[in-house]
Amino acid sequence: MDSVVTQVSERHWHALGDDRVVGRGEASRRPDGRLFLSIDAWQETAFDRLAGAMLTQLPKPLYTVVDEADLDLLTSWERIGFAPRRREWEYVVPTGPGAAPPPAGVTIIAAGEADEGRLRALDQDIRDEVEATVGWHNMPAEVLVRPLLDPAAFTVAERSGDYVGLVRVAPLPRQPRIGLIAVRKDLRRRGIARALLAEVLRSAHRRGIATASADVHQSNAAAVALFEGAGARRAGSNLELVLR
Amino acid sequence: MDGIQFEGTVVECLRNATFRVELVNGHKVLAHISGKMRKNYIKVLPEDRVLVEVSPYDLTRGRILFRYRN
Repeated sequence: MDSVVTQVSERHWHALGDDRVVGRGEASRRPDGRLFLSIDAWQETAFDRLAGAMLTQLPKPLYTVVDEADLDLLTSWERIGFAPRRREWEYVVPTGPGAAPPPAGVTIIAAGEADEGRLRALDQDIRDEVEATVGWHNMPAEVLVRPLLDPAAFTVAERSGDYVGLVRVAPLPRQPRIGLIAVRKDLRRRGIARALLAEVLRSAHRRGIATASADVHQSNAAAVALFEGAGARRAGSNLELVLR
Repeated sequence: MDGIQFEGTVVECLRNATFRVELVNGHKVLAHISGKMRKNYIKVLPEDRVLVEVSPYDLTRGRILFRYRN
């Protein structure tokens, strides 16, 4: 089937065939400035025509995200020149009643009970640490928008009166999403993150929730070890592709 | 797109990033997640209520356009 591509707005394209829309393309800019594409088409020819039109209009580099198991879609993007840039594992983490005691001198503050001002200060410190190292654009859960700081979503570790670690959980129905787990740089490798994770998994278990989810960059060895140590299994992976 | 849209319920997550969805009319389709949902890290689980667009070329295939919150 032959299709014709029309740009219907600054960031939207339609492929038309037999007087109907047979494919759609969209470009959207993330807060870090990168331009991400999506194309939905029922047939390869419509996909290729949409891609051709979009690529001539948009400045490179261009990015997209595909489920690595979706081989047809992955092949379509690779056919027009996109290549994998990074992989994020999707983990499913079983909840349970077990606790992981925090190290001596550290206490865990349950979700909703942390002081907002101190939590905000810790969040900013951790953001600065991440920005100075891997950069926030490499954190899967943070790439879309910076989440509002809602104390109800945070479980916090406290040591000698200071907040030193946090885990944020998005309360999605049936499967909460662990969006961020972090400990101050000088206090890592002491079991604080493990204790934070155990607390949120125990809390979810008490509410009758069987699993939580988390996205982890494949190169984040500490996070991979943390989640796999908690019994998490890889349920899939997302590839970020780039066309330079 | 010009495919027909139906509400449905995800009944099974399959391999190759596909989902079996039972539509409100009782038909079952194999559906992928739309590129826009993928781009925004929206996940789909069994029992989720979703909006599906059925392919005009193959009525057993579809695309999940939206996941309802409950």
